[in-house]
Amino acid sequence: MSQKLVQDQDLGVQVVGEPRFRRFRGSARDLLIQSGPLIALFLLAAYLASATPYFMTESNLVNVARRTSVLVIFAIGQTFVILTGGIDLSVGATAALAASISAVTMTQQVNVLGIKFGPVGFVEGLAIALVVGLGAGLLNGLLVTRGRIPDFIATLGTLEVFRGAALLVTGGLPVPSYYSKAEKARNYLPKEVVSIGSGDWLGIPIAAVIALSVTLLGWVILRYTAFGRSIFAVGGNREAARVSGIKIDRTKIGVYVVSALLAALAGFVLTGRLNSANALMAGEENLNSIASVVIGGTNLFGGEGGVFGSIIGALTIGVIGNGLNLLNVSDFYQRIIQGTIIVVVVIFDQWRRRRFGV
Amino acid sequence: METRTPLLRMERIDKSFPGVHALDHVDFDLYEGEVHILLGENGAGKSTLMKILSGSLPADSGRIIIQGEEIRHHSPERASKLGIGMVYQEFSLVPSLTVAENIFLGDPPRNRAGIVRWGELYRRARESLATLGVDIDPRARVGNLSVAEQQLTEIARILAKQPRILLLDEPTSALSDTEVDRLFEIIRRLQSRGVGIIYISHRLDEVSRIGTRVTVMRDGRVIGTLPVEQADIDTLIKMMVGRRLSEQYPKTLSVQAGQPLLRVENLCAEPFLRNLSFEVRTGEIVGIFGLMGAGQAELAQALFGLLPVTAGQIYLNGQPVKIRRPTEAIQHGIGLLLRDRKASLVPMQALPANITLANISQLSFMGPLNLRSEERIATRYVQELTIRPPILKRPVKFLSGGNQQKVCLARWLASGARVLIVDEPTRGIDVGAKAEVFALLDQLAAQQGVGIIMISSEMPELLAMADRILVMRQGKFSASYQRGEATQELLLRSAS
Ligand SMILES: Nc1ncnc2c1ncn2[C@@H]1O[C@H](COP(=O)(O)OP(=O)(O)OP(=O)(O)O)[C@@H](O)[C@H]1O
Ligand SMILES: [Mg+2]
Repeated sequence: MSQKLVQDQDLGVQVVGEPRFRRFRGSARDLLIQSGPLIALFLLAAYLASATPYFMTESNLVNVARRTSVLVIFAIGQTFVILTGGIDLSVGATAALAASISAVTMTQQVNVLGIKFGPVGFVEGLAIALVVGLGAGLLNGLLVTRGRIPDFIATLGTLEVFRGAALLVTGGLPVPSYYSKAEKARNYLPKEVVSIGSGDWLGIPIAAVIALSVTLLGWVILRYTAFGRSIFAVGGNREAARVSGIKIDRTKIGVYVVSALLAALAGFVLTGRLNSANALMAGEENLNSIASVVIGGTNLFGGEGGVFGSIIGALTIGVIGNGLNLLNVSDFYQRIIQGTIIVVVVIFDQWRRRRFGV
Repeated sequence: METRTPLLRMERIDKSFPGVHALDHVDFDLYEGEVHILLGENGAGKSTLMKILSGSLPADSGRIIIQGEEIRHHSPERASKLGIGMVYQEFSLVPSLTVAENIFLGDPPRNRAGIVRWGELYRRARESLATLGVDIDPRARVGNLSVAEQQLTEIARILAKQPRILLLDEPTSALSDTEVDRLFEIIRRLQSRGVGIIYISHRLDEVSRIGTRVTVMRDGRVIGTLPVEQADIDTLIKMMVGRRLSEQYPKTLSVQAGQPLLRVENLCAEPFLRNLSFEVRTGEIVGIFGLMGAGQAELAQALFGLLPVTAGQIYLNGQPVKIRRPTEAIQHGIGLLLRDRKASLVPMQALPANITLANISQLSFMGPLNLRSEERIATRYVQELTIRPPILKRPVKFLSGGNQQKVCLARWLASGARVLIVDEPTRGIDVGAKAEVFALLDQLAAQQGVGIIMISSEMPELLAMADRILVMRQGKFSASYQRGEATQELLLRSAS
């Protein structure tokens, strides 16, 4: 192929006004190079399919999809933040806080500043979770921009604050709880909550449908809106973005809001799957969401990457966990193996970038 | 000369990037005490050839022979052991470190215990800056320096290593005449000590000033090598471009300057600018000249909201305006092409995204993008400015320096700005494309009534293109010339 291109170049001096476009050349090769993570996932699945007969069963695959969906929702939000060169360490805590508050209001009467309401239904519960997410995202965004605190420190701080707040709200107990002292209480979550977490629609887990919709929406925002373009500009070269008039603070606040809203949604879906919420839920989701994004090929320093890679990253993590379970690997080893695989995938990815200059 | 063994020979060097054959079996040699000038259009392969010599890029094939010995397994460390020092087109400085730390990067003076001797570090840094004849604080952070100062720091850094083979990739593109003169003095001094120098430039007048031989490249191949005596500018241009150039400075003269567009009264930005008053009318090109640090860049920054204005007033179309951020400047229809390319481009984004960035910044948050029209705009400027290779989806970090400059320029040509400030608009752009750039600027002014402020250190450019030239000295205007009144001597005298 390179021989052919060379000949093209040999045509000599280019006449002004007649550039020779070569836009589609080499796209097959590009695809191959860019789909490294997908190939890794494919190989992993092929190995598991041969190693254990249970892996390829429909029920197991549905199970993997259901479990991975929550991680995908987290990872899409994390992708937005990482694309700007930031990092959100508070997604798990945001999810737990949003889920706890919404689960409490859905299962008992609460008293906020003298106004009593609840127990509320599914729609109100979801709205409350998202409002909590919105607040958490704004707080992170403002700390990072107006407060001029590094992303890492700001979200490390809010991580603790959100967990603490969630513990306060739930009193450290799972919700719904039989120990509730509220005047009016019910001991179960609305059935719609449970069904978005563990129900199916035409044989597909509803959680997976949500995760896919979120991914698609994320892709559209990143590719087709000014906000999306600003994200790449801020992460790619902050100074260039500034001198081109991009509103950096607004973009930064925007990505933290997206991340926290999706974390709240993920927490809500997780509540449905577990049929309960608690202040310590989604404990591994911080690191797993970051790992998904990085495995998916998004540059940790920002400016390069996208949501589809992150889905693949999340699936990789989900499939590894599921496979190790099926192979009866003990939990201790599981952690070691998972960590190792993540590092190896990223090393491979870095090498690939250097080697092929993509 | 040909009977001596050369200091350096490069034989049949070949290098391809995806979709581009950057070097096609290039032969090149260099003798002791020679300044070998390397010319060629943007993207001809000059920087690539030098990067291969300095070990920072591997060649696909070919041999490098230094003083008769072939170099195998070339690397940057190897190159610096062999006495090869390279001043990169895109600098290799660490912005967060001080000037002195950069100059002795990786090899600071230490005492026996291996601890850095800071006193000596700063003293020696000051000395090496002094030999360049520049006044830069060795304790200043490189990130805060102007482009010219960074360029000089980069040069000082390489000279401190006392190379035997010195590679200079467009060292003067950001310098004004005084610094250029000093640099040439140093080059002559090194030359007399037997150092071999390869010098890349787009300023053709420099060829006869310091060159001994000239090699011209085009599309990755060597077109020919000449001794300077035979290398008159017309011949060189013809070798470079493969055709004769039409008008170098196309300028529509019949335009009457119209309404005042931008008026500045007593503008101050302490400590850089003091009491500047001037105006720019529709269709007018106002040139600004000054030596390094006279405040031209700061004036541009102040007008664009990058530097806080401490006193004075800016009027646009007669209305007083306050500009605190670039966003606001763009809203008001002001555009600024910075001298610093690194601060302007988003390296991993493709051409269309980079060209339309200023327009996109003015859309609402969820405002939809029109990718098709972006491509149309990009295609237009790829053609008009001959951006090469014309592959729209390629990230701009893979473009040659001059082509990157064209992308920066295209952004502001496409921005629809009513007042356009350009700081060294043709920095690093080859002779052929320079004419296109001037034609586009002229068209903007003459046909669309844009007011252009053109900051440049190249006096011929200013004399040919500007309707009026303002000269700056120490943050003030020291003279103003109408078109036709000024000469190079007058400009220099008013500037110093
Ligand atoms: N890392 C890279 N990946 C892909 N293409 C590259 C890369 N580096 C250079 N090129 C291409 O190689 C060609 C030669 O580039 P080079 O930088 O050597 O040009 P140049 O002669 O220095 O031009 P200029 O005068 O603009 O600096 C260009 O077409 C450029 O786009
Ligand atoms: Mg170059």
